[in-house]
Amino acid sequence: MIRFVLRRLLAAAVLFLIVLTLAFAVVALAPGEPLAPADPRIPPEQAERLRALYGLDQPLPVQYLHWLGAVVLHWDWGQSYRTGQPVAELLFDALPPTLLLAGAALLAQYLLGIGLGLIAAFRPNSRLDLSVRVASLIVYALPTFWVGLMAVLVLAVGLGVAPAGGMTSAAGFELGPLAAALDVLAHLWLPALVLGLSMAGDIARYTRSSLIEFQATEAGRAARARGLSETRILLVHGLAHAAPRLLQLASVSAPLLLSGAVVAEAVFAWPGLGTATLLAIQSRDIPVVLAATAYGAALVIVASLVADLLLTRLDPRIRVE
Amino acid sequence: MIPVAAMRLLAAAGLAAILGWACASDTPRDTTRLTVGMRFEYPTPNELIVQQTLGHKAITSQLLLPLMNEESDFREGPPSWKPALAETWEFSEDRLVLTVRLRAEAVWSDGHPVTASDVRFTWQAQTDPDVAWLYAYAKEAITDVEVVDERTVRFHFSRASPTQLADVAPEAVLPRHAWAQRPFAEWRSDPGWFFERLTESGPFRLENRTPGRELVLGRNPDYFEADLPRLERVVLRTAADSAALTTQLLAGELDVVTAIGAADAQRIEGRSGLRLHAYSSRQYTFVSWNTGQPRFEDAATRRALALAVDRQAIVDTVWRGYARVGSSPILSDVWARDPELEPWPHDPEAARTILAAAGWRDLDGDGVLERNGEPFRFELATFAGAAARWDAMQMIQADLRAVGIDAQLRRFDQNALLPRLLGNDFDAAVSGFAIDTSLDLRPTFHSDSIDGGHNYAAYANPEVDALIESVATRLDPLAGLEDLHRLQRILHEDQPMLVLWEPLTLAAFNEELESVEPNALSPLANLQEWAWR
Repeated sequence: MIRFVLRRLLAAAVLFLIVLTLAFAVVALAPGEPLAPADPRIPPEQAERLRALYGLDQPLPVQYLHWLGAVVLHWDWGQSYRTGQPVAELLFDALPPTLLLAGAALLAQYLLGIGLGLIAAFRPNSRLDLSVRVASLIVYALPTFWVGLMAVLVLAVGLGVAPAGGMTSAAGFELGPLAAALDVLAHLWLPALVLGLSMAGDIARYTRSSLIEFQATEAGRAARARGLSETRILLVHGLAHAAPRLLQLASVSAPLLLSGAVVAEAVFAWPGLGTATLLAIQSRDIPVVLAATAYGAALVIVASLVADLLLTRLDPRIRVE
Repeated sequence: MIPVAAMRLLAAAGLAAILGWACASDTPRDTTRLTVGMRFEYPTPNELIVQQTLGHKAITSQLLLPLMNEESDFREGPPSWKPALAETWEFSEDRLVLTVRLRAEAVWSDGHPVTASDVRFTWQAQTDPDVAWLYAYAKEAITDVEVVDERTVRFHFSRASPTQLADVAPEAVLPRHAWAQRPFAEWRSDPGWFFERLTESGPFRLENRTPGRELVLGRNPDYFEADLPRLERVVLRTAADSAALTTQLLAGELDVVTAIGAADAQRIEGRSGLRLHAYSSRQYTFVSWNTGQPRFEDAATRRALALAVDRQAIVDTVWRGYARVGSSPILSDVWARDPELEPWPHDPEAARTILAAAGWRDLDGDGVLERNGEPFRFELATFAGAAARWDAMQMIQADLRAVGIDAQLRRFDQNALLPRLLGNDFDAAVSGFAIDTSLDLRPTFHSDSIDGGHNYAAYANPEVDALIESVATRLDPLAGLEDLHRLQRILHEDQPMLVLWEPLTLAAFNEELESVEPNALSPLANLQEWAWR
């Protein structure tokens, strides 16, 4: 097991290095000059001084080695061209809100998806089942930004049952710890629900098919023969049977959640990694774009690694060799 | 059982949070505070080490005052200057020395007086190579800043010019006693350090900041203007997207939003309790025709292009009326604008006649005109990211097609297109300028600015060069008015650039607020006077 974990960690590190290199190459090869002054009155030597401060006067291979060395040895991602802030500090502020949103969305997606899948599996091919299947397909097909905008317009602006944006209320720093946590929760539930909704349909369909499939297996028939109730068969044994596939879906969800978070953060003014990335792309803030890409890749790699490791524990058919 | 209990607890907490939030939104308004939505990033209060934006400048000016503030009276005449930290100022007879007297009552929020040494320190920082302030060129005419006594400072100039006050006045005076502790060479390495050593001279103090989310400004009790600011606290909230801020305004979570897109304006119009305020942005958007290319080399063809484009339709459709059709690089609400200058009308028939007279014919019957065997087909480029501009370009493309011209639209990254514009390596391009009130047309129309300057169209006209130079040398801008009018009329006839529109900036606010007067200089202009009725 330890060798397996080490091997996977090594592969993850190599993959991460490849992502870093590709990201740097793509950004470096893009046309145009970073920090090109838009004001023609700025003398060339002034602009050159600024370029030298950021190391842009060096040849590209030297820039790459400096950047990679600083990242690998010191976790130093350089300074934002736009704000001058250390990039690690900027993303350190942005990462927790994104992790919170993505985590809550993951929870929402599984709660909703498994719930709907169970409902459908109880009465296969009934009207209810058909409704759940159609609804999950529709939800899967709807773009997150549209669902988000509609949710804000109806629930926040129209009905006033949720805040329209942000992560906290204005001057939320004045609140005590419990009130502050509740304040964040009040701002979190709607974006998390919207973000989770897109994948919930997929989870529902997987849950339904796994549960129906389980009922036809020997284990399912044996459980029924032992006189267990239908509810117990599906909830306990059926879900245990479906768990490995559902877990695999979690690793598939991670990149979708992260890309969805960029959209959801823009719609709900959620101050996370997606917002920071969007601002950086808009202003060609290369150090931030590179770091945000790397953070995103790292999150996906880690999620996939964790899902694989958990799978080896949950699914008796999988053995580590 | 445990998961069920945990889920119940979670559900209860969620419900409590929602109810709590809903109840909180029903509480009576606290008239001592205000919540403003605006797009900003505020990594440091030191404006010399960040890319200057209107938002950053607007916030900094609440915390750190300049010597003087430019007034927004550019409609009536050359803009005047209002004293801020300076009490009085006076030029020497030859205008090579400017003596500024500071206010006796101006103090930093840590109790230190604002002194002439602070003013000199600010100039040293602005011009120090290690600070690498991008706009250091603005100080090149200042040869020294002399401390005469604690409250008196003298600016020495190498030459007199009409912009001397603008060279001296607009940047924040920095607190020497607090910021000189860090060598200039280290200023850029840690922008956050300046928050730790921030001491304010403006109407507000920085009470709290949550990076990427909000800044909380509190009333500065030591501010020298009596009874100002009128609000105890202003919370500035930000978002990456202005539409999200508009939504929060509609939901009642914000009291003011400083920049609303034209597309969102209709969500505000007619809403009870909200007021929409449109004001000049001192910007214009234009098409540059590369006059170095044979198809754009004659003024008659360029005038025909102006007649072919229905700019009023663009303003009505894309900008929903929140823009003005342009006709001059001197904007329609600036004092020096020629009042008799009217935009070229939309007249496709007249355009066709002029094009035919200029030798353009569709000889092969493919719907595109030709001259000397070359079809009138070109690339119309712009910067990526401006959705309204792209929409307008599609309308321009259709208008040009109607008179037999094939414009192929392309979007480029900012850093990819700008070098091409500066090097005159393009066919035609749509871009925009944000301008100050100096009325200096040298960077955009003087033949000196063709190579590497913003004279993208490569336009060269000796009379225009002479007029630009004449205006620049007059110490009294009003004396150059006739030359400015003549200049505008020549550019109108020659059409090296087609000014498309002058966008308006839109702000929306709760109508219970009074004295909210954002302007082109600052979305938070006169913030210290804002108050609830």
